Amino acid sequence: MEFGHFLSALTPLNLGLALFGVIAGTVVGSIPGLTATMALAVLVPITFSMEPASALILLGAIYTGAIYGGAYSAILLNTPGTPSAIATTFDGYPMAKRGDGDLAVALACFASVFGGMVGAIALLFLAPPLSKVALAFGPVEYFWLSVFGLSLIASLSDGNLAKGLAGGAFGMILSTVGVAEISADIRLTFGSQVLIGGFGVVGALIGLYCIPVLIDLVAVPDRHLKVEDDVKSVRIGEAYRIAMKSKFNLVRSSVIGTVVGILPGAGGSVAGLVAYSEAKRTAKPGQKFGEGEPDGILATESANNATVGGGFIPTLVLGIPGTPPDAIVLGALLIQGVRTGPSMFSQSGSIVYTFIYGLIIATILMLPAGLLIGRYAYKSIVSIPKAVLVPAVGFMTIIGTFAIHNSVSDVFIMLSLGVFGWVVARFGFKASPIVLGLILGPIAEQGFVQGWTIGAATNNLLGMFFGRPISQGILAFTLITLFLPLFLERKHRKTARKTNQ
Amino acid sequence: MINAPEANSQGQMGSLLVSFFFVIAGVVTLYDTTGYTDRDSQVFPQTVAIILIITASISLVTRFLKPSDEGGFGDGVWWRRCLLIAAMFLACFTMPYLGFLPAGAIAFAGGLIAAMHDRWSVGTVLLYWVSGAVTMVAFFSLFKFVLLVPLP
Repeated sequence: MEFGHFLSALTPLNLGLALFGVIAGTVVGSIPGLTATMALAVLVPITFSMEPASALILLGAIYTGAIYGGAYSAILLNTPGTPSAIATTFDGYPMAKRGDGDLAVALACFASVFGGMVGAIALLFLAPPLSKVALAFGPVEYFWLSVFGLSLIASLSDGNLAKGLAGGAFGMILSTVGVAEISADIRLTFGSQVLIGGFGVVGALIGLYCIPVLIDLVAVPDRHLKVEDDVKSVRIGEAYRIAMKSKFNLVRSSVIGTVVGILPGAGGSVAGLVAYSEAKRTAKPGQKFGEGEPDGILATESANNATVGGGFIPTLVLGIPGTPPDAIVLGALLIQGVRTGPSMFSQSGSIVYTFIYGLIIATILMLPAGLLIGRYAYKSIVSIPKAVLVPAVGFMTIIGTFAIHNSVSDVFIMLSLGVFGWVVARFGFKASPIVLGLILGPIAEQGFVQGWTIGAATNNLLGMFFGRPISQGILAFTLITLFLPLFLERKHRKTARKTNQ
Repeated sequence: MINAPEANSQGQMGSLLVSFFFVIAGVVTLYDTTGYTDRDSQVFPQTVAIILIITASISLVTRFLKPSDEGGFGDGVWWRRCLLIAAMFLACFTMPYLGFLPAGAIAFAGGLIAAMHDRWSVGTVLLYWVSGAVTMVAFFSLFKFVLLVPLP
């Protein structure tokens, strides 16, 4: 780790690539249906002729920009641009609806930069020791981690836990449709070719979050977002003050994002949900998560951007990609002739450290670039007449969903889920628990079945699921998340009753 | 528009129907699992289906025993909602035959008519349709020629 590597990252070419990558990633990430994976996959060929460090800087910048860009459509259209921004919709869209969309966009930018920096610094200083965390996580730990994520259903249920749990369970059942990963059985397709591919997460997200909003928007003549008469800019100063007040939330969420990013297969969506759950669990009196609470955006956006640096830790140190975008970066590295592994930091130190410094620079560049693009995106969305915005977003949902697998069936599934999500939401079954089940279902199933198989083979099922220290820790957090609010509410009621008497 | 008593009964009945639908979905899932060849494929959907049946049944019984006026489709113009959904589905079904852009234009036209609550004028007709065409062609070009998505 020499100062020379930092200077190498600061060459005009690398700076230009970092800026271009952040802007391109942000724009692509903000379009529903276009994920960070797709942005990287499309742009990776242009890196083949570059120096390895420059290629990595470009890819890292696109990745970090795309994760941040997902927040725009989550806040302004209630549609997560990328799966990482699911939890951003919980408070971002309510903020936008009440006229604070500009503030929400600025908060997302600050949080993304902070989280991105924490992840990148962890990659710089702690990569080899932290990579051991990835190895310490077995299938049972993944199972409990997904259960922890599912515990968020309790707080997303709007006071009706049974409906929330039913929605979560239905989402998990949807996640099993198609060919089973473990045994290749075809499940719940009822002979339909359309369902063999299953319910893709991105298409389901677009359908369940975006289509209900469009259906509601066309039905009434009201404006799509409440706005002040004079929209001048995103509220940077106000956002900065709120972010500074929530320093602990930012740090905790960024650490969660970094650690979850290290775990192969978990990714930004799980990190965002876990960080949101923790922020909600530790909410101060008066904070109303789910109704436009700025801390919700800070938690999610810092966590999902921290997964970028975190995800590169097992990718570079162990050669195990943490997320699909990491896998693309790993592929690009192999094409460049760079071998990943524990010795990479010593043998290819100049490439690795130049890349990490480049990632840090790209994350810093995201602040001005993100605020500028955010300002433009906000002004565009609020000033476009609803009559044009609705069909334009509708067209984008169709083209974005089609592009995932180049399949009309995906569009049909997306639309059907959208109408279904709108109908059930009218009667108290919200979309978020269904989405949570859909995302966490495969992780839970794989962890559960593998853990069960190992436990049965070693004749130690209880020990397998409850005897491992990391499992016990995650289980304890899950129980605290589920029962602490009930305990505190009961205590609060008792105190209030005593005071009244 | 729906008046208040109708909305109340609609909320009660709709909530019961949706809960019942989830119970049925759980039962269907349980039945489907009986046809799997591998126990590993069965255990997870079976467990989740049982949770679904229990939680949806709790929701159903609770709502039945304690009727409430929560829920319902609320205010809003139905033909606009139906037009939007119908136009998007029509675009989906005609896409393989007409091509992406003409099919997308169907969805766009339906959405535009559904979302237009103001009085049409020559200016808005021109402005909205032209801006719609520009938006569609721009996105089509981005996906087809830059991102190389094989749009039909």
